[in-house]
Amino acid sequence: MATVSPAERLFDLVIALRNARAPMSRAQIRSGVNGYHEAENDAAFERMFERDKVALRELGIPLLTITGDAHGDEYGYRIDVSDYDLPPIELTPEEIGVLGAAAQVWDGADLASPARRGLTKLLAVAPASTDPLAGRLRLPTPDEQFDALLAAISQRRLVTFAYRAAHSGATQERVVEPWRLLVSGGAWYLQGYDRVRAGERLFRLSRVAGGVRVLPPDESERQPVGPAYEGRRTRTDAVLLVRPDRATALRLRAASVEPDARPGYDRVVLAPGDLGDLASLVAGYADAVVVLEPPELVDAVRTRLLAVAALDAGDADA
Amino acid sequence: MRERTADRVARLLAMIAYLAAREEVTLADLAAHFGVTPAQARRDVETLWMTGSPGYLHGDLIDFQYDRWEQGRVSLLDSQGMERPVRLGHGEAVALVVALRAIAELPGLAGPALTSALDKLTAAAGEAASTAAAVAVDRPAAADAPQVAAHLATVRDALARGRRLDLVYVGASDEVTRRTVEPLALLSDGDQWYLRAHCLRAGDVRHFRLDRVVSASVSDEASERRPEAADPAADSVRPRGDHEVTLTLDPRARWVAERFDGQILAESAEAITVLLHVADPSWLDALVLDLGPDLHALAPAEHARRVAAAARRALAAYDEPEGGRS
Repeated sequence: MATVSPAERLFDLVIALRNARAPMSRAQIRSGVNGYHEAENDAAFERMFERDKVALRELGIPLLTITGDAHGDEYGYRIDVSDYDLPPIELTPEEIGVLGAAAQVWDGADLASPARRGLTKLLAVAPASTDPLAGRLRLPTPDEQFDALLAAISQRRLVTFAYRAAHSGATQERVVEPWRLLVSGGAWYLQGYDRVRAGERLFRLSRVAGGVRVLPPDESERQPVGPAYEGRRTRTDAVLLVRPDRATALRLRAASVEPDARPGYDRVVLAPGDLGDLASLVAGYADAVVVLEPPELVDAVRTRLLAVAALDAGDADA
Repeated sequence: MRERTADRVARLLAMIAYLAAREEVTLADLAAHFGVTPAQARRDVETLWMTGSPGYLHGDLIDFQYDRWEQGRVSLLDSQGMERPVRLGHGEAVALVVALRAIAELPGLAGPALTSALDKLTAAAGEAASTAAAVAVDRPAAADAPQVAAHLATVRDALARGRRLDLVYVGASDEVTRRTVEPLALLSDGDQWYLRAHCLRAGDVRHFRLDRVVSASVSDEASERRPEAADPAADSVRPRGDHEVTLTLDPRARWVAERFDGQILAESAEAITVLLHVADPSWLDALVLDLGPDLHALAPAEHARRVAAAARRALAAYDEPEGGRS
């Protein structure tokens, strides 16, 4: 007899539980549903059925466990048909195209599988898609703590974890009211209120050492959730002196470029932007670009240059 | 990689609901709609055909029109009550809503279809949508380069029409070059947009950052190369170079290893040592100047000497009166 694939068995289980007039007991499932006869003993059946229950819940299928007199001590199972259906959703070809692009941003990450399944379910009620994007998108792979933190945020729980400080490198236990997860510049962060440091903090998830423990609910002294972190943006235009014919990529995003009174320089004005991004962009051109304004950008660029100027210090001493 | 059981079952559930709402669908259309090969769609229908209600006798089974099937057409006769589309699981809804909100931040993607898709998905997702609201996406770097949206449109046009592109491009060395390229794919890492293309000048595949494109126009000439299908393994946007350099970094600069496929040689609480294969020394200089205090040491010494000298020249400009500081 041909073996029954796990997908086929799971699908048969859904049909059986959806159509059953009364909850099905484990024994009924084992003897009645196609595929379970392949379990060689009780332990094998239990493992098989437990795996299938997890898969059904992962799939969003509302599996109910019934305990009651009807089966004595034994559990019964049924699917809650009233909670089974996808709510009515009418998608246009453009919308399903956008959703298709969204579903692939997690490729290579744990979220790829649920995103793909979500898209597949929507395809059941969707027209053929147009692909308005013609592009492939990736987001940084979320760190392993992502799921636990997301659950803690939605349940308003506190979390505790060991965190490696940026400057000392020392690992410290933090107790945090988690507010939100943030993806920025290729990395994931947790934004929240640090109860130990008594202040709002941004934690880079790659520096969380080990797992995240979720603490019991504790509403005492809870801080109100702050606004989303928006990076450090400059508030005024950046004014730069740029050597002629240099820093072309920087000129591309300029609001204006004109010759400067000082010989050998063009005056380039950039609209406000992320301070770190601007400093990276400018510092990379070394002596081809000099920052005039704003002062925080001058400081950010000079800090970088001073550190790099010392890179061959050991060399010179030798 | 073998498909996960849950993913396949989700497709079987979606397929039967899709087929139940239609008189007949060709196997090719069914495969295209669900984004699988015709062979996989055939296996899926064959699996559905074997399933049914306990008893599994005639009348208990999902059934299709056999004569149509032999002509490559799928026509459902008996759905065994499985014609209802299944709602999204919590994790499924979160993964999709977060992804949509993330791509909404990238320039060139925002639009009415994205906004309405997000609204409809949020309504269908129920409480999962509020969980997804706890994920925020910072403004990507590309959003600060206004010309990127126009280049995106040009590149998409060339991809759609199978044409070459004429580019004026400025590379990491600040050198402006003219190139004719055959576009292969548009890629984004969530922060920047890249064009992956076969460059006729280099005779090889290159990645062009759209914020470094000076101008782009669709050529009259047809591209000999077809746009690539998605392949996550090929989506690294950096060529492997010949220069081996070792960077000793502050632990917070671990992203360098992650983003540029660096090999981590040593890692402690104080520092992380990363080996990079660099194609272009001027690219390395820009990275070093960006890292600033986060880079503790750089080897071989010739690279450290070169970039340190450049930094000293740049600092001098801040001190000289003609350098512009008033």
